Amino acid sequence: MNCSEDSMIQLIHNYLDEEISEEEEKMLREHLQACDSCNRHFHELKKTIALVQSTSHISAPSDFTMKVMQNLPKEKKSVSFKR
Amino acid sequence: METIIKNRIKQIKNGDQNAFAEIVEFYKDKVFQLCYRMLGNRHEAEDIAQEAFIRAYVNIHSYDMNKKFSTWLYRIATNLSIDRIRKKKPDYYLDAEIAGSEGLTMYSQVAADVALPEDELESMELQELIQAEILKLPEKYRSVIVLKYIEEFSLKEIGEILDLPVGTVKTRIHRGREALRHQLRHV
Repeated sequence: MNCSEDSMIQLIHNYLDEEISEEEEKMLREHLQACDSCNRHFHELKKTIALVQSTSHISAPSDFTMKVMQNLPKEKKSVSFKR
Repeated sequence: METIIKNRIKQIKNGDQNAFAEIVEFYKDKVFQLCYRMLGNRHEAEDIAQEAFIRAYVNIHSYDMNKKFSTWLYRIATNLSIDRIRKKKPDYYLDAEIAGSEGLTMYSQVAADVALPEDELESMELQELIQAEILKLPEKYRSVIVLKYIEEFSLKEIGEILDLPVGTVKTRIHRGREALRHQLRHV
Protein backbone atom coordinates (compact mmCIF):
# COMPACT_ATOMS: atom_id res chain seq x y z
CA MET A 1 0.00 0.00 0.00
CA ASN A 2 1.48 3.31 -1.00
CA CYS A 3 -1.01 5.53 0.80
CA SER A 4 -0.84 6.96 4.28
CA GLU A 5 -4.11 5.31 5.16
CA ASP A 6 -4.89 7.20 8.36
CA SER A 7 -4.90 10.57 6.68
CA MET A 8 -7.16 9.22 3.92
CA ILE A 9 -9.58 7.76 6.47
CA GLN A 10 -9.67 11.17 8.16
CA LEU A 11 -10.51 12.73 4.79
CA ILE A 12 -13.29 10.18 4.31
CA HIS A 13 -14.81 11.22 7.64
CA ASN A 14 -14.48 14.90 6.78
CA TYR A 15 -16.23 14.15 3.51
CA LEU A 16 -19.06 12.35 5.34
CA ASP A 17 -19.44 15.38 7.64
CA GLU A 18 -19.45 17.66 4.58
CA GLU A 19 -16.44 19.43 5.97
CA ILE A 20 -13.96 19.01 3.16
CA SER A 21 -12.40 21.50 0.78
CA GLU A 22 -12.73 21.07 -2.99
CA GLU A 23 -9.05 20.36 -3.22
CA GLU A 24 -9.18 17.66 -0.55
CA GLU A 25 -12.24 16.11 -2.14
CA LYS A 26 -10.48 15.89 -5.48
CA MET A 27 -7.49 14.27 -3.81
CA LEU A 28 -9.75 11.81 -2.00
CA ARG A 29 -11.61 10.85 -5.20
CA GLU A 30 -8.37 10.17 -7.01
CA HIS A 31 -7.09 8.12 -4.15
CA LEU A 32 -10.27 6.03 -3.87
CA GLN A 33 -9.99 5.12 -7.54
CA ALA A 34 -6.46 3.91 -7.03
CA CYS A 35 -6.67 2.25 -3.62
CA ASP A 36 -8.97 -0.76 -3.13
CA SER A 37 -8.57 -0.82 0.62
CA CYS A 38 -9.64 2.81 1.16
CA ASN A 39 -12.37 2.43 -1.44
CA ARG A 40 -13.81 -0.55 0.46
CA HIS A 41 -13.56 1.33 3.74
CA PHE A 42 -15.41 4.28 2.23
CA HIS A 43 -18.24 2.10 0.91
CA GLU A 44 -18.58 0.24 4.19
CA LEU A 45 -19.01 3.55 5.99
CA LYS A 46 -21.58 4.73 3.45
CA LYS A 47 -23.49 1.46 3.86
CA THR A 48 -23.35 1.73 7.66
CA ILE A 49 -24.88 5.20 7.54
CA ALA A 50 -27.61 4.06 5.14
CA LEU A 51 -28.45 1.14 7.45
CA VAL A 52 -28.66 3.34 10.53
CA GLN A 53 -30.83 5.84 8.66
CA SER A 54 -33.09 3.04 7.44
CA THR A 55 -34.28 2.16 10.94
CA SER A 56 -37.92 3.01 10.51
CA HIS A 57 -39.18 5.88 12.55
CA ILE A 58 -41.24 4.79 15.48
CA SER A 59 -44.05 6.75 17.12
CA ALA A 60 -44.89 7.41 20.74
CA PRO A 61 -47.84 5.44 22.18
CA SER A 62 -51.22 7.03 21.38
CA ASP A 63 -51.98 7.92 25.01
CA PHE A 64 -48.58 9.55 25.51
CA THR A 65 -49.71 13.20 25.70
CA MET A 66 -52.63 12.37 27.96
CA LYS A 67 -50.32 10.56 30.39
CA VAL A 68 -47.87 13.46 30.51
CA MET A 69 -50.68 15.94 31.17
CA GLN A 70 -52.11 13.76 33.94
CA ASN A 71 -48.73 13.56 35.62
CA LEU A 72 -47.90 17.25 35.64
CA PRO A 73 -47.72 18.76 39.12
CA LYS A 74 -51.05 20.43 39.94
CA GLU A 75 -49.48 23.62 41.16
CA LYS A 76 -46.34 25.17 39.84
CA LYS A 77 -43.43 24.42 42.07
CA SER A 78 -41.04 26.58 40.12
CA VAL A 79 -41.92 29.67 42.19
CA SER A 80 -40.14 28.19 45.17
CA PHE A 81 -37.00 27.62 43.09
CA LYS A 82 -36.65 31.31 42.37
CA ARG A 83 -34.36 33.51 44.43
CA MET B 1 -43.12 26.67 13.95
CA GLU B 2 -40.61 27.92 16.49
CA THR B 3 -42.80 31.07 16.87
CA ILE B 4 -45.90 29.05 17.74
CA ILE B 5 -43.87 27.01 20.22
CA LYS B 6 -42.54 30.17 21.85
CA ASN B 7 -46.04 31.60 22.18
CA ARG B 8 -47.16 28.42 23.89
CA ILE B 9 -44.20 28.64 26.26
CA LYS B 10 -45.18 32.19 27.21
CA GLN B 11 -48.67 30.90 28.01
CA ILE B 12 -47.21 28.08 30.11
CA LYS B 13 -45.00 30.53 31.98
CA ASN B 14 -48.13 32.53 32.71
CA GLY B 15 -49.68 29.47 34.31
CA ASP B 16 -51.68 27.99 31.41
CA GLN B 17 -50.99 24.29 31.86
CA ASN B 18 -53.10 23.23 28.86
CA ALA B 19 -50.78 25.05 26.46
CA PHE B 20 -48.21 22.39 27.32
CA ALA B 21 -50.29 19.65 25.65
CA GLU B 22 -49.56 21.16 22.25
CA ILE B 23 -45.84 21.12 22.95
CA VAL B 24 -45.96 17.47 23.98
CA GLU B 25 -48.02 16.57 20.92
CA PHE B 26 -45.53 18.28 18.64
CA TYR B 27 -42.34 16.74 20.06
CA LYS B 28 -43.50 13.39 21.47
CA ASP B 29 -42.48 11.16 18.55
CA LYS B 30 -38.99 12.61 18.22
CA VAL B 31 -38.32 12.49 21.95
CA PHE B 32 -39.70 8.95 22.22
CA GLN B 33 -37.61 7.85 19.26
CA LEU B 34 -34.46 9.31 20.82
CA CYS B 35 -35.10 7.49 24.10
CA TYR B 36 -35.94 4.26 22.30
CA ARG B 37 -32.75 4.29 20.24
CA MET B 38 -30.71 5.06 23.35
CA LEU B 39 -32.37 2.44 25.57
CA GLY B 40 -33.62 -0.20 23.16
CA ASN B 41 -36.81 -0.90 25.07
CA ARG B 42 -40.24 0.64 24.50
CA HIS B 43 -41.33 0.59 28.12
CA GLU B 44 -38.20 2.31 29.37
CA ALA B 45 -38.28 4.71 26.45
CA GLU B 46 -41.83 5.74 27.30
CA ASP B 47 -40.92 6.12 30.96
CA ILE B 48 -37.93 8.37 30.22
CA ALA B 49 -39.69 10.37 27.50
CA GLN B 50 -42.58 11.08 29.90
CA GLU B 51 -40.10 12.14 32.56
CA ALA B 52 -38.34 14.44 30.08
CA PHE B 53 -41.56 16.34 29.32
CA ILE B 54 -42.48 16.60 32.99
CA ARG B 55 -39.03 18.00 33.81
CA ALA B 56 -39.30 20.46 30.94
CA TYR B 57 -42.64 21.66 32.33
CA VAL B 58 -41.43 21.95 35.92
CA ASN B 59 -38.28 23.80 34.85
CA ILE B 60 -39.82 25.92 32.10
CA HIS B 61 -38.70 29.09 33.87
CA SER B 62 -35.07 28.13 33.40
CA TYR B 63 -35.55 27.82 29.63
CA ASP B 64 -33.90 30.74 27.81
CA MET B 65 -36.39 32.03 25.21
CA ASN B 66 -33.52 33.21 23.00
CA LYS B 67 -32.44 29.65 22.38
CA LYS B 68 -34.08 26.88 20.42
CA PHE B 69 -36.64 25.06 22.55
CA SER B 70 -36.04 21.73 20.82
CA THR B 71 -32.34 21.80 21.72
CA TRP B 72 -33.20 22.38 25.38
CA LEU B 73 -35.83 19.61 25.39
CA TYR B 74 -33.48 17.13 23.69
CA ARG B 75 -30.81 17.92 26.20
CA ILE B 76 -33.13 16.92 29.04
CA ALA B 77 -34.17 13.74 27.24
CA THR B 78 -30.59 12.77 26.34
CA ASN B 79 -29.31 13.33 29.87
CA LEU B 80 -32.15 11.29 31.36
CA SER B 81 -31.47 8.46 28.90
CA ILE B 82 -27.77 8.45 29.73
CA ASP B 83 -28.56 8.44 33.47
CA ARG B 84 -30.83 5.46 32.94
CA ILE B 85 -28.16 3.58 30.99
CA ARG B 86 -25.67 4.20 33.80
CA LYS B 87 -28.09 3.04 36.46
CA LYS B 88 -28.82 -0.23 34.70
CA LYS B 89 -27.43 -3.19 36.49
CA PRO B 90 -24.24 -4.37 34.82
CA ASP B 91 -25.63 -7.89 34.46
CA TYR B 92 -28.70 -6.67 32.63
CA TYR B 93 -28.22 -6.91 28.91
CA LEU B 94 -30.86 -7.12 26.25
CA ASP B 95 -29.13 -9.95 24.47
CA ALA B 96 -28.60 -11.98 27.61
CA GLU B 97 -30.70 -15.10 27.84
CA ILE B 98 -33.60 -14.94 30.23
CA ALA B 99 -33.22 -17.57 32.96
CA GLY B 100 -35.14 -20.74 32.25
CA SER B 101 -36.12 -19.78 28.71
CA GLU B 102 -33.81 -21.56 26.29
CA GLY B 103 -32.59 -19.23 23.59
CA LEU B 104 -35.12 -16.58 24.42
CA THR B 105 -33.60 -13.14 24.75
CA MET B 106 -35.02 -9.81 25.76
CA TYR B 107 -34.99 -8.86 22.09
CA SER B 108 -37.49 -11.53 21.20
CA GLN B 109 -39.51 -10.52 24.26
CA VAL B 110 -39.63 -6.92 23.14
CA ALA B 111 -40.36 -7.88 19.55
CA ALA B 112 -43.13 -10.24 20.66
CA ASP B 113 -45.01 -7.26 22.08
CA VAL B 114 -45.76 -6.07 18.58
CA ALA B 115 -47.83 -8.17 16.20
CA LEU B 116 -46.48 -7.81 12.68
CA PRO B 117 -47.66 -8.98 9.27
CA GLU B 118 -45.34 -11.68 7.89
CA ASP B 119 -44.12 -9.65 4.96
CA GLU B 120 -42.70 -7.13 7.39
CA LEU B 121 -40.76 -9.76 9.29
CA GLU B 122 -37.78 -9.88 7.01
CA SER B 123 -37.12 -6.16 7.18
CA MET B 124 -37.94 -6.25 10.88
CA GLU B 125 -35.07 -8.63 11.51
CA LEU B 126 -32.66 -6.25 9.85
CA GLN B 127 -34.10 -3.34 11.85
CA GLU B 128 -33.61 -5.27 15.07
CA LEU B 129 -30.09 -6.17 14.12
CA ILE B 130 -29.22 -2.54 13.43
CA GLN B 131 -30.82 -1.43 16.70
CA ALA B 132 -28.88 -4.13 18.54
CA GLU B 133 -25.63 -2.85 17.05
CA ILE B 134 -26.48 0.73 18.01
CA LEU B 135 -27.08 -0.47 21.57
CA LYS B 136 -23.63 -2.07 21.67
CA LEU B 137 -22.00 1.33 21.24
CA PRO B 138 -20.75 3.01 24.42
CA GLU B 139 -23.23 5.75 25.38
CA LYS B 140 -21.00 8.62 24.31
CA TYR B 141 -20.88 7.30 20.75
CA ARG B 142 -24.46 6.08 20.78
CA SER B 143 -25.89 9.51 21.62
CA VAL B 144 -24.06 11.33 18.82
CA ILE B 145 -24.90 8.66 16.22
CA VAL B 146 -28.59 8.72 17.18
CA LEU B 147 -28.74 12.52 17.18
CA LYS B 148 -26.95 12.76 13.85
CA TYR B 149 -28.41 9.93 11.79
CA ILE B 150 -31.81 9.23 13.31
CA GLU B 151 -32.80 12.66 14.58
CA GLU B 152 -30.82 14.48 11.87
CA PHE B 153 -29.32 17.27 13.95
CA SER B 154 -26.33 19.24 12.69
CA LEU B 155 -22.94 18.86 14.39
CA LYS B 156 -23.40 22.31 15.94
CA GLU B 157 -26.83 21.45 17.36
CA ILE B 158 -25.49 18.16 18.73
CA GLY B 159 -22.77 20.15 20.46
CA GLU B 160 -25.43 22.36 22.05
CA ILE B 161 -27.58 19.42 23.12
CA LEU B 162 -24.69 17.52 24.68
CA ASP B 163 -22.82 20.62 25.86
CA LEU B 164 -19.70 19.56 24.00
CA PRO B 165 -17.34 21.42 21.65
CA VAL B 166 -18.06 20.64 17.98
CA GLY B 167 -14.58 19.11 17.67
CA THR B 168 -15.45 16.53 20.32
CA VAL B 169 -18.77 15.79 18.62
CA LYS B 170 -16.89 15.15 15.36
CA THR B 171 -14.39 12.82 16.98
CA ARG B 172 -17.17 10.84 18.63
CA ILE B 173 -19.13 10.58 15.40
CA HIS B 174 -16.03 9.34 13.58
CA ARG B 175 -15.38 6.69 16.23
CA GLY B 176 -19.05 5.73 16.39
CA ARG B 177 -19.17 5.32 12.62
CA GLU B 178 -16.03 3.19 12.64
CA ALA B 179 -17.38 0.96 15.42
CA LEU B 180 -20.65 0.47 13.56
CA ARG B 181 -18.79 -0.18 10.32
CA HIS B 182 -17.00 -3.08 11.97
CA GLN B 183 -20.26 -4.43 13.34
CA LEU B 184 -22.38 -3.98 10.22
CA ARG B 185 -20.03 -4.56 7.31
CA HIS B 186 -21.10 -8.16 6.78
CA VAL B 187 -24.82 -7.37 6.79
